[in-house]
Amino acid sequence: MSSLDQRKAARPWWLGVAIFAMGALWLYGAAGIASTTNYIGLGPAAMVQVAGGGLAILGILLVIQALRGETFAAQDEEGADAAAPPSRPAFLLALAGVAMPLLTMKMLGFPITAMLAFTLVTHAFGSRRTLLDLAIGALIGTLSWYGFELLGIELGPFIPLLR
Amino acid sequence: MMDILQQLLAGFAIALQPINLFWALVGCLLGTAIGVLPGIGPALTIALLLPVTAQVAPESAFIMFAGILYGALYGGSTTSILLNMPGESGSVMTAIEGNRMARNGRGAAALATSAIGSFVAGTLGTLALTFLAPTIAELAFIFGPEDYFALMILSFTSVAVVMGTSRVRGFTALFFGLALGTIGIDTQTGQSRMTFGTLELLDGISFTVVLVSLFAVGETLYVASRQARTAGVVYPLKGGAWMTREDWKRSWKPWLRGALIGFPIGSLPAGGTEIPTFLSYTVERRLSEKPEEFGNGAIEGVAGPEAANNAAAAGILVPLLTLGLPSTATAAVLLAAFQNYGLQPGPLLFATNPGLLWGLIASLFVGNVILLILNLPLVGMWVRLLLIPRPYIYGGIVIFALVGVWGLSTSWMDLLLMCGIGLIGYVARVYDFPIAPALIGLILGPQAEIQLRRALAVSQGDWSVLVGTPIAATLLAIAALVIFLPFFVAKFRGAMHESKA
Repeated sequence: MSSLDQRKAARPWWLGVAIFAMGALWLYGAAGIASTTNYIGLGPAAMVQVAGGGLAILGILLVIQALRGETFAAQDEEGADAAAPPSRPAFLLALAGVAMPLLTMKMLGFPITAMLAFTLVTHAFGSRRTLLDLAIGALIGTLSWYGFELLGIELGPFIPLLR
Repeated sequence: MMDILQQLLAGFAIALQPINLFWALVGCLLGTAIGVLPGIGPALTIALLLPVTAQVAPESAFIMFAGILYGALYGGSTTSILLNMPGESGSVMTAIEGNRMARNGRGAAALATSAIGSFVAGTLGTLALTFLAPTIAELAFIFGPEDYFALMILSFTSVAVVMGTSRVRGFTALFFGLALGTIGIDTQTGQSRMTFGTLELLDGISFTVVLVSLFAVGETLYVASRQARTAGVVYPLKGGAWMTREDWKRSWKPWLRGALIGFPIGSLPAGGTEIPTFLSYTVERRLSEKPEEFGNGAIEGVAGPEAANNAAAAGILVPLLTLGLPSTATAAVLLAAFQNYGLQPGPLLFATNPGLLWGLIASLFVGNVILLILNLPLVGMWVRLLLIPRPYIYGGIVIFALVGVWGLSTSWMDLLLMCGIGLIGYVARVYDFPIAPALIGLILGPQAEIQLRRALAVSQGDWSVLVGTPIAATLLAIAALVIFLPFFVAKFRGAMHESKA
């Protein structure tokens, strides 16, 4: 990636804006909570206001820090190279794996969803053996479905469409 | 004193039941495995197992969790030494000297001093916990709501300040957690808050969903996008398979000193394992007769920090069990586990549920013995776990994350939250925001609110009640102090990074 991208990564002013927006949302939400007048002490809106106000202030501070050029360096994680240029395709593949259940879980059920999510994530990590990954994903998904059902955890019908 | 010993014996009677020994073994095996594997730590593992515990007696569940908690420490030091891959912040210092030793062909001695040191310090730490916890719990009986509120404020500020690189980012994580904690029905007035008109949010956002998303999903996205190009090199265990007489002589004092440093710091409201391990490393380097060996594989540099790490882990249980105060992500999950059983850790629990608490404490002793046996002769087996290809590890983590989230209540909204909060976890890693303060804000925020409102209701809305008792006033004063402490911590970290380089 170019040095321009790295400089942008080091100044995430938009992050502060997002935190500020979340704070504003909480403050707005607090205004909509009816306060019970005959309640002694603190009403239900107070804590929401504190959280919202805190986030709003911190958001502003983050924007100031970012514009001042404070570094926001990536974390060192096991197996990750913080200095490595971020790979957008790998990130999007992994994200697709995590988002896949939103589309498939209700209709296709847990085992098939697990198979698809597993395969997308393994491909994000560089695997190219699609059929093998699908098979392993289906196996782990099915075993988990049966295993956790035995333990009393309901993961929905095996394949909802077939019911 | 006699009373405590009697209680402890009763605890052993519970921990040594065959079924509980079985759970302890399961926990130790799981813990060591996840300590060795990248991408999955004790907090995430326990969170994923929370739904399973509905089927198991609380004693057995917590005995298993204790095994995971301690086991992850043993497994984490194995990868630090053989791969120079510290799985968690507590084993960063171990990696420095331990990996050097492994490169010099003394990996077996490094593993041995780390495992035995962990055992010694873990046992000493548990012993200290045994005698300290009931005493603190006794003290906490006199705590009023304003004292608890002050204690939680202290916990918030110290967690936000100590974890992470900057106060602003620590507090941002904390307030993010506090904000999520307000979602749902207000317990005192029954009004819905921040639910945006959705039925699914009335119950609030589940702690498990947030934790699984921030850790499992956030980490998977992050590591996928920034994969290390070079795989770690495992240094084979060869030559001088065991500790020599000299190694023993050089190890036993650092073990004891490490335990002495680790336990007290671990039991502070924002203890963690990072600072005690760093302190122990510095102390050992100062005291060493051969300081020139540091940086080239000094065995003291493995023995001390490993001992400190395990003693600190025992220390973390002190505020958790006596006051219900979590100081790390793992402790926050344990608190969530207690709440799953409808239990609130604290002084009352020692009175109402002694079997559970003493069984748990006794199982820590048992777990240490199991882990020593599992890790010393069988270390080669654990290292083999590293042969699992990376794609399959992370693919598997995502499937288990799905089990954890979908298995809660088969709710589509939870899947959506998993995606959204997972993305936030990714962003947090990219811009170096700490995660633990968010979890502690989420789980402790609603409790702090209850205590605050209780205190104000009793005082008829008079705010001065918050500093009305000496305990509350002192705790709040310390909390204010903590915010200004980071100048000191910043220096500390600076020194730490220098020594890493």
